[in-house]
Order: sequence, then C-alpha cells, then structure tokens
Amino acid sequence: MSRLPTSIGAALDRLVDASPVERIVISIASLLFAVAVGAVLVLVSGFVTECDDPFVLLPGVGYGCYNPLEVYWTMLEGAFGSSSGLGRTLQETTLLLFTGLSVAVAFRAGLFNIGTQGQMVLGALATALVVLELGQLVPQNVVGMVIVIPVGIAAGALAGGIWGMIPGLMKAYADAHEVITTIMLNFIATGVALYLVQNHVGDLTSDSVLTETIPSVARFPTSISDSRFSMYALIGALLVAVGISLLYTRTILGYELRTSGIQETAAEYSGVNAKRNIVTSMTLSGALGGVAGAIYVMMVQYRWQSGIPALGFDGIAVSILAGNNPIGVIPASLLFGGLKSGSVAIDLSLGVPNELVDVLRGLIILFIAMPEFFRMLGKWSGFGSDPVGASGGEEA
Amino acid sequence: MNVDDESSNRTRTGNLAVHLDGITKRFPGVIANDDVDFEVESGTIHALIGENGAGKTTLMNVLYGLYEPTEGSVWIHGERREFDGPRDAMEAGIGMIHQHFMLVDTMTVAENVVLGDEPTKWGGLATDRKKAIEETKALAKQYGFDLDPTKRIQDISVGEQQRVEILKTLYRGSDILILDEPTAVLTPQEVDGLFGILEELIAEGKTIIFITHKLSEALHAADDISVLRDGELVDTVSAENASREDLARMMVGRDVLLEVDKPDVERGNPILEVEEVTVEDERGVTVVDGVDFSVHEGEVIGIAGVDGNGQSELVETITGLQTPSDGSITFDGTEITDVSRADRIGMGMAYIAEDRQKRSLVMEYELRRNGILGCQRLPEFSNGWRIDWESAEDYVDDVIDEYDVRPPDPSAEAHSLSGGNQQKFIVGREFERDPSLVIASQPTRGVDIGSIEFIHDRLLDLRADGKGVLLVSSKLEEVRRLSDRIAVMYDGDIVGIVDPADVTEEELGLLMAGERPTGMDVDSARVRRRESA
Repeated sequence: MSRLPTSIGAALDRLVDASPVERIVISIASLLFAVAVGAVLVLVSGFVTECDDPFVLLPGVGYGCYNPLEVYWTMLEGAFGSSSGLGRTLQETTLLLFTGLSVAVAFRAGLFNIGTQGQMVLGALATALVVLELGQLVPQNVVGMVIVIPVGIAAGALAGGIWGMIPGLMKAYADAHEVITTIMLNFIATGVALYLVQNHVGDLTSDSVLTETIPSVARFPTSISDSRFSMYALIGALLVAVGISLLYTRTILGYELRTSGIQETAAEYSGVNAKRNIVTSMTLSGALGGVAGAIYVMMVQYRWQSGIPALGFDGIAVSILAGNNPIGVIPASLLFGGLKSGSVAIDLSLGVPNELVDVLRGLIILFIAMPEFFRMLGKWSGFGSDPVGASGGEEA
Repeated sequence: MNVDDESSNRTRTGNLAVHLDGITKRFPGVIANDDVDFEVESGTIHALIGENGAGKTTLMNVLYGLYEPTEGSVWIHGERREFDGPRDAMEAGIGMIHQHFMLVDTMTVAENVVLGDEPTKWGGLATDRKKAIEETKALAKQYGFDLDPTKRIQDISVGEQQRVEILKTLYRGSDILILDEPTAVLTPQEVDGLFGILEELIAEGKTIIFITHKLSEALHAADDISVLRDGELVDTVSAENASREDLARMMVGRDVLLEVDKPDVERGNPILEVEEVTVEDERGVTVVDGVDFSVHEGEVIGIAGVDGNGQSELVETITGLQTPSDGSITFDGTEITDVSRADRIGMGMAYIAEDRQKRSLVMEYELRRNGILGCQRLPEFSNGWRIDWESAEDYVDDVIDEYDVRPPDPSAEAHSLSGGNQQKFIVGREFERDPSLVIASQPTRGVDIGSIEFIHDRLLDLRADGKGVLLVSSKLEEVRRLSDRIAVMYDGDIVGIVDPADVTEEELGLLMAGERPTGMDVDSARVRRRESA
C-alpha cells in the first residue's frame, strides 16, 4: 500500500471513507468538471473543421464552428425541453432501469451477469410472439389490454429468466464462470432470434428481419404526446427498483441469495442450498433483462426487429455508476437516458458530428463513474480507515 | 518498563540489531502502539507476545516499513532509518514472514525463492532457472533445510512452505527476520523443526523476532521476551528468568487461571447419538468408518486425534453439511440423518466451524449481517420471510459486548477483524442463542490466552446448564482439560473412548497413533480386529 506516494494514498483513504452526502457532492462536481472539459473539446474541434456559419473568429487561429454553450443547451433542451424529447428521455430511462436492475440484482448477489443483452433480445422475441397470438383472441379494448400486456411481460420475463438460468446452472453445478458463459450466450441469443425470425416466425414477406407489428391492445398506453412513452411502464420500473432494494435489505430470501453468491461455503453453513440460490439469482437477473425486452417491444418498437439497441450493455454501466444499489439505478438511468436522448437532438439540429457527441457523453459518464470506480478499487485494496490497524492488526 | 536494567544482567554482546525508540502509531480513534521502546540484541531470538489486538503486528509492520510511525524512530544496527515501504526495510536487511504465506502455488520452490530478484541470462531477457535452482539448493544446504527446489509449492507441506518463505528472505540477504505467528499453522512436529531452524539461523549470525501468543513457545525458543498489552510495552524479560504465570499476568494484566476448575455436573439424557456412521469422500474413499458414540446433556465429549483422521468429515456429517453413506444420527430423540442443516439449526444445534473464514463468517459482511448467519430463519430474527433487523442488531450488540469483540462496531466488516476477534464473535453468536447441543471444532485456534480462558469458561457454563458439547480440538491439553470423556479418532474410526483422569498424555498419543497402550482396555472393535489379525 505504501508503494504509492502518500498523497495519493491519503486521497484514496478520504474517498473510501466518504459519506453518502459527500459522494453525491463528488458526483455533481464530477459532472461540472466533465462539462467543462467537454466544452473545451467542443470548442477546439470547432477550429479544425469548416462550416458556413462560424460563431467565433480568433485572429491567427481561424474560425470556430461550434459553440459549446449552444451544444450543451441543445442537449438539455433536447432531453427535457419538448414533449417528444421528454418522452424519448423517459422511454430510455425506463428501459435502462430494467437492464440496470438486471445487472444490479446479480451484482448484489456476487454474480456478474454480462448476459442482460441476450436475455433482453430473447425476452423481446418471446413477448412479440405471444402478444401477436394473444392479441387476436381478446376483445380489442381496455379489457384486452389488461390481459395482453401483463401476459406479454410475463412471457418476456420467462424467456429472459430461462436464458439467465442457464449460466446460473453452469456456474452452480459445473464451475463455469458466469462472465464467460453469459458473454457467449449473448451471441447465441442473437443468433437464435435472427434465425427464428428470418426463417420461421417473422414476417417472411419483408426484406428485413422483423416480425409483424403487434396489435394495439398489446401496446402500452402513451402518456406524452408525440411519444410512445408510457407512465405505467416507468412506475412499474420504479416499483421494481424499490422492491429489489427491499428484497436485499429486508428479506431472508435476499440475505440468503446474497450470501450464496458471495461465499458459497458460508451459505451452506447457514443452512442454505447455495447452488440453488445461485441459479435463482441468475434467473431473477435474466427475468429482469427479459422484462426490458418486453417493454421495448410493447412500448418502443411495436415489433421484434433486428438491431435491438445495446441497452443490456448500457445496463452494466448504469449499475456500476449506481454502485450496484437498486435505488441508485434510478438517477443513473435518468442520466444515461437524458444524455442519449439529448445527443439525438444535437445530431438533428446542430450539425455537430455524431462522434463528438458520443465523446461528450462518454466524458460525462467517465467523470461521474471514476470516483465511484476508484472508491471500489481503493476499498478493494485496503484503503480507508483501517479497523485492522485499530485492533492491532493481529493475524490480519 | 526499564529495558536497560534487564539486558545488563546478561553476558551478551549488547549490540542492538533493532531499536524502536518511542514508537507511537495512531489510527483514527485508536492508539495501536503507545510510546513503545523495543530493543533486540543482535544474534538472539526475541519473542514478542501479547493478546489479540495488543499491537504486536502493528509494531512489526512499523519495523518492516508497512506503516509509518506517528512518532518515534527506527534504528537498525545503531543507524537511524526511515522506511518508505517494505522495499527499504528489505534493503536494510529486514525480512518478514507473514502468517499467511505469500507464495505462488503453481511455481516451484526455487522459482518462488528468487521471485522478484531472479538470476537472468541472455542479457536479462530470461530467467536462469538452472542458476535459480543451484542457488536455492546452496542456500538450503547452508542452513540445513531439507527442501527439493524443483517441487511445486502446492505439492509440499505447510511446514516446508514456511521454510521456502524463510529462504526467500535469506536469498534477499536479510539478517533480521520477523516471523508473524510462525507456529499457528504447523503441526507439533513441524514446530520442533521450525525451532531447530531458528537455532541454525542464530548460529549463522542472524537475528530473529517472532510474534506469538503461546507462552510455552516463547519460553522454549526465545532468549528474550517482550510483552505488549493495549499498545504499550509492559516489559522485556529474559526467558530464563520468566515463568508462564508471570508472562500470562503481564499479557492479560491480571492473574490467569491456567487450570480450569471443572465442577461436577449430573449427566442427563443422551442429546446426540451417532450410530455406525460411515462417510465417503468425493472419490468414494471411506473417511469415517462406522463411528459410534453419544453425547449426553451436561457432558463435554472431546474428540482428539491428529488432523485428517476423519474428524472434520464426522463433524460436517453431524451438522448436516455432508451426507453419511451409512449409519444414523439422533438428536434429542429425533432421527436427523436425512434432516436438512437448516432444520438442525432450528432444533437447537450450534456449530463453531473449524475454518471460520470459509464457513462461519461471510468475510465481506458487516458483523451485523454475520450475526444472523445460520440463525436467519429462527423466529427471534424473522417472521418467515422478513428479517427483523432491530432484534438482530440488539443480538449483535449483546454478543460484541459480552464477548469483548474488538473493534466493538457492528458495522465493521468481518475481514477487518483479527482472527481472535472473529472467533470470539462466532463463539458468542453460537452460544448466546441458547442451543441444546454445541459442536465446537477448534474453538480456540488462533485465539489469545485471555480469550481462551473465556471461551473455556463459556463451554463449561453450557455444560453446567445441561447442554451437550462435542469438542473437537487438535490441542491435547484443551481436550483433556474440558472433556468428561475423550474419544480418540484414528484413520476414520474412534479407537477408544477414555476418561481424561485415567489416561496420561503418552497413552493418548499412542491411541492417536492407532496403537493400544499396554494394560489399557480399549473399547474399539477396530483395534481388537487389528490385534487379532
């Protein structure tokens, strides 16, 4: 530990010991700092490109094309300033909530589910197929909706859950590490879905790989004009976040799931079937990924279509940013959702290249995630106030 | 406190290899070392003793450059040194052998010895393995170590691994060796071997400091003994002039009863009956072979035996972590052979597992969460699905308080506690929930003398309350002192059940080696079978 210069060590100590309030302050400061660095970057890039309508002229340097303030303002306005923008933001937020929670549930239980993407892809397909069938059998009104939408969600959860259970079984009974198996299962999920849709269950008349459009009884009722966003989905997501938080802090099941994932031998000691619990955790995580897919089909795309966005992988970043805390996933997905939605607006209105917007987004996420990342790292390598030292450090 | 008076009585060189002058080390809220003057004469073996949390390891970490002292200075061979890390300390000739070895299991002895300082060839592009082996061999020969440099670490015994650690520091040219609880992981034979090696090293002019909380070891192996208590140096005495009682008093700060007073308790009904239990391991090898015994209420049954003779498997079978291939187990009148571990806990079976860091604690959990490990489904702490954290926290506070767990902080994570404090916490958790049967496997392993006394007293309290206790320990003394009957295990079988009052240590030793002491009537079909064959 003392190989590091003492100033860095001391900084890590302080970071690890930071109180929740301090951590929020650190996050906000990081956000501001990221915005400042991004502004410089935008400004500088503006001088190395050409445009018809430069906003500033620096003698001896040239014309600057991009105004950072305008970029940020457009981003903010794009994310929250219009009903369609707000709808897009909340839509992203809802989906990220489910994928983020999917990753966080596994993380809390000491498991690293990289497979949320695959679980979402298959969950989405299952939902699309089930509601396409069921939609024809029910009355085309609210009653039909109340039947079809929950069944659609259940279908997504079931498919995602099964896809999550597979790596769980492999981990528990064959010692196969879940990081490897879930990554591989992502590829398999996409391959299987594409094959099925293209050759068997999809709209075989279309050139694209997609299913028929789902009937209106299977679509979430929209809450904001010019947008497919539904308040019901968001509220559902928030309730799930609270539920999962309670699961791990208050219930025996959560305690046992977590113990099984973190330390299997101790879980057995406490009278728990640790292997079965590992499978349960992965299944639960997969089911949430599947629900994300269900919402994607019933609220966003209205069909299964190839090229599903990488919401599952974004979920990993959301979960890490939230410190894997289910409640923390809420603001983290709002930030991600807002950034994603806001950057679409820049694309459309300012002519600032897509890549630069991605860089800005990356910077903000990086800066906010870094302190938390270093905190985890510092904690892991033994920084922070040292109770071992406090007890004399015997046998430590 | 006056160290100079003591050392002037001796006829030695008087050269100080190590002088820690007024060392104070503060951690937030705690003083781990308080103005400690610690002197080690060159060419001697110096024992540093004290209870868990007395500040022994902290002091040695200061000497080894891991901690920077808050106040005070470090003098090596009369020269003032300031270490900015262990690398500096190593350069000054100080080597430390930690309790948990830092070896690469898949590499050979020689590779481990030279690791970080490898002889190279091809202008530094490759490790010169041949030279590494030769140098390791030469070094081992010089100090009389019996080691094969080409063997892999994973294939050699713990005692040999420790010798590799010692060679590693010698290879780096250390002449002051610090050993942190070197005997904690060794068998009695290996302990003797280690002390032989220490003598050898002294003969070669090295200086040795070893940390221990076993008084007999300090008296046996050391020239001088320094005692730390609550971060302060109580005294440094020469081993010749010290007695166990003196040292114990200095360590604990009061008189310690080294003998346990065991009142007579009326033996009640059998609480645990083990009949013909046979256990096979994963490869189908029989590790417990038709074991029979019973534990009664108000009785301590001790299981003695050399480690690895089936005790662990027997205990795990009784507690429900392994399934017997044959035989039956009855607990409080109910047959539990096929009953789950959770139900056995619910019926009042408490279990202190041998490997506390693997089994009895979740190292990443705070004490609060560890406090209900195993009891999470008991009605005191839950209504079937929801955990009652309020009563759980009350319980943990009680355990911490009653069993003097340090630091007394329910939100401290288990890995941050010292081994002794971890053990006190586990013992407290298991004892305080009023079990009817306690299975205690190595309950005082790695625990200091004051806490051992405490744990022994609690075990006997349980016995006096009419509970059954099954005690498994590799410390013969402990088993003899606490048990009403001793069952000796050898090669998966109980080769004899004896009354500790009627048996000498030698006789027990013979039984543990699978022999029948002359004139002793041993109730074991196995021994008889072998004798008639």
